[in-house]
This record gives sequence, structure tokens and C-alpha cells, in this order.
Amino acid sequence: MKTTFTLNWKIAGQAGEGVMVISKMMAKICKRHGLQAFNYLEYPSLIKGGHQTGQVFASSKQASCQKKDLDILVTFNKNGFKEHQDEITSKTLIIYNSDAGPLDKKEYSHLTKNIVEIPFRSLTKEKTGSFNAANIAVLGASAYFLGFNLKIVRKIIRDEFAGKGEKIIKDDLLAFKAGFAFAKKLGQPLKQTPQVEDDQILLTGNEAVGLAAIAAGVQFYSAYPMTPATALLHYLASQQENYPLIVKHSEDEIGAINHALGASFAGVRAMTGSSGGGFALMAESVSFASMAEIPLVILEAQRKGPATGLPTWTEQADLSFVLTAGHGDLQRVVFTPGTVAEHFELTIKAFYLAEKYQIPVFILSDKFILESHQTMTQPELKHNHPRQNMIKSAPKDSSFRRYKATKTGVSPRSIPGQKYGLQLTNSYEHDEFGFGTEEITPTIAQVDKRTRKMDSIAKEIAQPYLVGPKEAETTFVCWGSTINVVSQLIHQQSLSKKKTVNAIHLPTMWPFPKKEFTRLAKLAKKLVMVEGNQSGQGERLISQETEVVFTDRIHRYDGRPFYAEDLQSWLEKNSK
Amino acid sequence: MSCITNKSIKSPITPTWCPGCGDFMILNALQKALVELELEEANTVIFYGIGCSGNMADFNRAYGFHGLHGRALPSAIGAKLANHKLKIIIIAGDGDFYGEGLNHFISLARGNHDVTAIIHNNSRYSLTTGQSSPTTKKGTKTKSTPTGLVEKPFNPIASALVAEASFVARGYSTKFLELIQLIKAGVSHPGFSLVDVIQLCPTFNKKENHPFFAERIYDLAAEKHDASNKMAAITKAQETEKVPLGIFYQDKESMPYHAHLSQLEKKSLVDQWSAKTNIKKAIRKFR
Ligand SMILES: Cc1ncc(C[n+]2csc(CCOP(=O)(O)OP(=O)(O)O)c2C)c(N)n1
Ligand code: SF4
Repeated sequence: MKTTFTLNWKIAGQAGEGVMVISKMMAKICKRHGLQAFNYLEYPSLIKGGHQTGQVFASSKQASCQKKDLDILVTFNKNGFKEHQDEITSKTLIIYNSDAGPLDKKEYSHLTKNIVEIPFRSLTKEKTGSFNAANIAVLGASAYFLGFNLKIVRKIIRDEFAGKGEKIIKDDLLAFKAGFAFAKKLGQPLKQTPQVEDDQILLTGNEAVGLAAIAAGVQFYSAYPMTPATALLHYLASQQENYPLIVKHSEDEIGAINHALGASFAGVRAMTGSSGGGFALMAESVSFASMAEIPLVILEAQRKGPATGLPTWTEQADLSFVLTAGHGDLQRVVFTPGTVAEHFELTIKAFYLAEKYQIPVFILSDKFILESHQTMTQPELKHNHPRQNMIKSAPKDSSFRRYKATKTGVSPRSIPGQKYGLQLTNSYEHDEFGFGTEEITPTIAQVDKRTRKMDSIAKEIAQPYLVGPKEAETTFVCWGSTINVVSQLIHQQSLSKKKTVNAIHLPTMWPFPKKEFTRLAKLAKKLVMVEGNQSGQGERLISQETEVVFTDRIHRYDGRPFYAEDLQSWLEKNSK
Repeated sequence: MSCITNKSIKSPITPTWCPGCGDFMILNALQKALVELELEEANTVIFYGIGCSGNMADFNRAYGFHGLHGRALPSAIGAKLANHKLKIIIIAGDGDFYGEGLNHFISLARGNHDVTAIIHNNSRYSLTTGQSSPTTKKGTKTKSTPTGLVEKPFNPIASALVAEASFVARGYSTKFLELIQLIKAGVSHPGFSLVDVIQLCPTFNKKENHPFFAERIYDLAAEKHDASNKMAAITKAQETEKVPLGIFYQDKESMPYHAHLSQLEKKSLVDQWSAKTNIKKAIRKFR
């Protein structure tokens, strides 16, 4: 495809109207056409009512975040006009669900003149006898206006509702047809979506973490539900029938992390996850994992805090906490993946490092990317992940030392059930066998031993990298999900042949990659930190670890993600 | 396979408890029980809480896990799910288990996880120098409650019973032979077993000494208590003047948590480990 094809579609409605399902299906349809797709969902913390949206941006080149200028806005009620004014252009087609009451189009003519009305609910009721499939009628109308391949759409409907019974699938197909036919009477299609080979998968950040955990040999996941980490619990729970895996819904977060630590001690790869509030309860156990050298992978899924905050909205304000959570001098790794694909890659690495170095490894992510669907190239199906630093057998003379002070600091580990491998995994300071000690010499020996591990770990972390052209007027620096938005901006600039911006993305925040980051930062003309918090936690870390100085910074802390359009305006305003 | 012996279970470290501490008796009873049960050394794991009681970690030579205050319990469950062939024993104090770890205790009992908890119940937080604990009597003056404790004591036996524990017993550190039998019965029980052990602490709980208990204790079995009758057990658990010892309740049909998991039908989780994984099934819904 020479020219870039894009489509930008959004749906607004109340909780319970099927907004999320339909938005995901739209993204899936785009993927099956061979496009890149990004599906961003917004919803309040309630079960019925409220204002919910789903939006799909798809492109033949780059789709890594939601976009503002909509091609189509489907709205189940009049709220949609008001709430999304700044995303409507004169070219936007608005599809209004006329079952929500009569519409005075003149009231909205300053936004767009392209408004059509479709009575989705009554139309669906007429064809199927119930309102249930009204959202599928929306899919029908959208498929018409966007020129989708109908075979793909029908297949998606069958896939999505497989297992729910033939009657439901039949009704959905009827509703789809009715929506399509109704739309056809109202005007011409806006686009003809092209189709190329589809070699991608579509999944959320949470699902990528779960899929990677399975690829890495996870056998135990324990958690207590908390948005936006809950979907990982659900996904892994659903995979228990396919893999030798136990998922435990624990009594609380302290239980969750200690369930995982016990399982890991007994020899299975284990993981826990929560959002900031739940993770706060786990802090003491992080310290324990590091002291007792028990491998553990932890997903810390940031949402807008402090405290209960804005439970279903995004933020990047737990970095400082995750970097320091747990008392004492302790060892940890903190990964901050950006794209969904990077979540997959770094979760696999997290399991590898956790077992190899017997430490807690964090995946620090956020609501924005953990709950958004994004396409990525389908990964290899076969994964090999041999044991790391675990003994095959122990000497018969009971001389096995669980905490042997080796050169690298890594001691071989036995697991219960292994003959002669007796050991005490201990939260007290201990000698090489694991027995508690308060003596000076073994204390220093063990502290130094654990600390030494960080030297080898530093060589294995994911290094920061440059995105976009080698040279640019402005270099954005970001960690975690923000790179998705920045990459979209860089791509747009490349289309208009502007080369004003590039970016350094940090997929690891601890141990901080001083050398490589400093090298990249030195190449920049003007460094601008972009992070989703109020206080500049990432910048603070960089100042602590390097000499790098920033010219400016952009912070967002209203629960909403960054938009490429806003960064673009910032650049325009701030260029000399 | 080699079983635990009187010699093998002794660690090179000498216990550091006060003279006359009931913990000595519990340690000896536990070691004797493990030997008499002929448990395999490699497959027996002891989880310890934090307290004078938990200090036992250094006095056993066995697979051990000395975790955090109140949290030995969830770790023990995690290990049991990872390898249900292990025999798992928890050693903790009343402060640890009925205070800091209470939510875990209730959840453990409800889940009927196949582990045995031996609780050193001395009605004090002893390692932290004798403050009141959840089982301290109302009105007791301690360093943290100088004018007398306001709360009424927590009843571990009754609480375990209403939380659906499938084996509930009370021992006494001075009744050594009986204690061995209770521990053996608890460890042999398929499901969660609580052995609450009244433990003398001559340093911080001087009043509740052996003469105090000698007047009050009696043997449930000798009184013909029916341990299959839960209501009778709950009634017995409410006694405060007298201190019944023995098995209050045992569910003979007890089915442990891990036996409900189809993943564990053939092999333990850790035995199903493979260094190779194909994600074909896991990836299907993302295509
Ligand atoms: C999270 C935490 N809080 C407090 C402590 C301090 N602490 C250590 S032992 C203990 C109480 C011990 O009492 P108990 O569990 O009854 O055991 P005992 O010493 O009586 O055997 C406390 C409060 C701790 N180690 N960790
Ligand atoms: S303080 Fe009490 S419980 Fe602790 S060792 Fe001394 S007697 Fe035993």
C-alpha cells in the first residue's frame, strides 16, 4: 500500500449498551483486513449508566493510540455530541441512535452537517424480537460506511459469540444485516477499507502480559481483583484448562503475594499483580522476596491515584513507589514496557531474570495500555525457557548451601522434594545454609552477595532506544505507555516530511541504564520529558542517576492519556 | 527414600528460648511426631511465623520457610498448591496467626487446604516483650495495656469451627505425649488441621502457669465428646472456666482444596513443569 489508509471510529453510550464489545470487534475487523489497530476504552467506575466510549484508530502504517479527528461517531444518546465536540470535524459522520429521542440537527450544524439517524434499538427488536443485539446493528451500519469486507465481519461475529448458542449468532447476523441495509439507504460509504494479509494478533496490554507469562512457563498466578490489573486475573484464569497453571483469587493482596512466594519457593514460576493500592499492601513481601531470594514477577498496573483516585483512569504516578517499595536495601528490576508487543517481550524477560537472579521483577504499566487493544505481529508459538540456577541434585553429605556467597552473587537453589537439598528460605538475615544470624561477618557477606547480582542484571535489562529520525529539533523522553502516543506523532510528522521530533523510550527504569541513556541524551538538541504524572517522577530518577538536564517537560495528570494532537500543538507553540 | 529420624531433624543450633518455655516441649513433640509418622525428609516442609515460636526455624534441620509475621500461612498454601505431595506444617504464635494473619486463617480454614497449623498460644506477644495478644484475657495488664485490656479474647477453636475448619484440636505444651498424638492426627488429616497449643510463657505470662492450667484442663475423649458432632464441638469451644484438650472436631469426609483442582488430578503442578511451551491455545482468541 503506497498511500496510507486510516480510519477513525468512535462509539459513545451508557454502560450496559455493549459499547466495549463492539469497539473491540471493530478493532478485530480492522486487524483482519491487515491493518494496524488501536482500541481505546473510557468508562466510569460503575456497572450501569454513565458515559462510556470505545474508539478504534486503524492504519495501514502506524496505529498506536487513539486519535481526535473522527471519521465516524456513533452515539447512543445526545450526550455524545457534547462530550466529544472537539473530536468532531466538518467531515465527521455522526450516526445518532434515534431511539434516544428526536434530534434537532440544526443544534449541531456548527459541528458537522453529516448526521444520520438510525433507530438501532427498535430496528433490532423488529428483526430479532429483542434489543440485545442493538450494538451489532451498529456494526452493520459502520461496516457499510467504512466499506468493510462483509465476510470478515460475519466471521468476527461468529467468533465473538461462539459458544453462546446458534440462536444468538443468528440474531446477531440479522441485526447486522438490518443495520447495514438501513445505512445503505442513508448515503454513500465514506471509505473502502483495503485488505491485505493479516499476520497480527490483537490484544490488550494485560492479555500480552498473560500470554507472555504462559510462554515463559508461568504455573501460578495469585491476585485480588483491582482495576486495571483485573483482566490479567481473568485471562490467566481462563487458561487453566489449557496449561498446567493454577490461578488463585486470594483473600487479599498480602495473601496474593505470599501465595505466589510460597509457590515459587516450591519450584513453580509464579506471578502476582495489582494496581497501586493493592500493591501498597504487598510492599513488605517485596522486601522479603529480595531478602530470601525468591523469584517473583509482579504486574503493577497504575491507575489514577492517590488512594482510590479515579479507579478506571490512567496515570504514571507509581514509579517512585515501585522503585522504593519495601524496607531495607533490596534488589529489584523495574520494566516499563511501551507497546503491547513490548509487554509481551519484557514479561518473558521478567520471568527469565526473576528465576535466574532470584529477585522480584516488576512490569510497571498503566490503565491506558493495559486495557487498550493493540495489534502486534504474531509471536512465535513455540517457547523454550529452561530452568535457571536450580540444582539438579544435591551432594549426599548435606553440604548444600542455599545462600552460598558466589562470585556473581547468585546461589544455586534447591526446591522441596529434592533429596539432600534441605535449606531454610529465610526472611531473617542468614548464613549460607539459611539459618538465622546476627553476626557481623555473615551479615555483610550476604548483603554484599545479594548486591553483587545487580552487576550481572544490569547487563541483561532492556536498554533505552531512539524512536524516529536520528536528528530532530526536539527529543521527547518517555517511559511506559507514553511512547505509543509519541510514536504516532513521529509517524505523522514523517508523513508531512517534518523532522522536528524524535524520542528516547525507556523500557527499563531500574537498574537505571545510565550509560546508554546518557549517550542517547547527548545526541539530542532539546530534551523534553513527557510523563503521565504531576510531579515528574521519571525526570527525578534521571536527575538522580545521570547528569542529563531537560529543557522542558509535559505532564498530564487528569486521568486521560496523552494525545498525539496535543503534543503536536505543544511543539508548534514551543518551537522558536 | 529417607525418612526423618531423631538425629536427622536436629539442627546444629541450640534453642534460645527461656528456661521453662513451653516452646521446648512443642519442638520436641513436633520432632517426635514427624519421626513416628515416618515422613520423608525431602517432602516435609515447615513454615514459620515470626515470634519466639517462629524461632524454631533454626532448631529443625528440614526444608523450611521462615517468612513474615502473619504470612507464613498464605505462603504455605502457595507451596501446597505448587506441590501437593509435600507435607506442610505451620509453626506460629497466637499474635502471628490470630492477629496479624487472621484474614489468612479464616480463608485457609474455608478453603480446607491440606496443611497443619500448630499455634503456640501463650496469650502474649512474647518476642516483642510481652504485650497483649488476641487471646489475652480481658482486664490483663501488660506493657501495652497498662490499665487493663479492654477487648474480650478471641476464641480460636470456635472461630476455626465456624470458619469450616475440618480438624480442630487443642493441646497443652506440658501434656507432651498427648501433644505428639494430636500433631500426628492433625498431620495425617486430609485438609486443614488446627492444633492450638496452650504454651507456657514463664517470662511474660507468669499467672497462667502450670498450676493454673492443671486445675482447669480435662481430656475431651475421656468425657466421651463426639468429635464428629460439630454443634457439640462448638459448645465445648465456648467453655471458659475449664480448658478442654484433645480433638474438638474432625470431618471424616474432608476433601482438601487441591483435590478439587482438575489440573492436579494426575501430577503435582511442579511435576508438570516443562521447559517448552506452545502458546497456540492461549493465542487463539487474539487472532
Ligand atoms: C509486620 C510486623 N509487625 C510486627 C512485628 C514485630 N513482631 C515480631 S514477633 C511479634 C509478636 C509475636 O507474638 P506471637 O506471634 O504470639 O509469638 P510469640 O513470640 O508469642 O511466640 C511482633 C508483633 C513484625 N516482625 N512484623
Ligand atoms: S519469652 Fe516466653 S515464649 Fe518467649 S522464649 Fe521466653 S518463655 Fe518462651
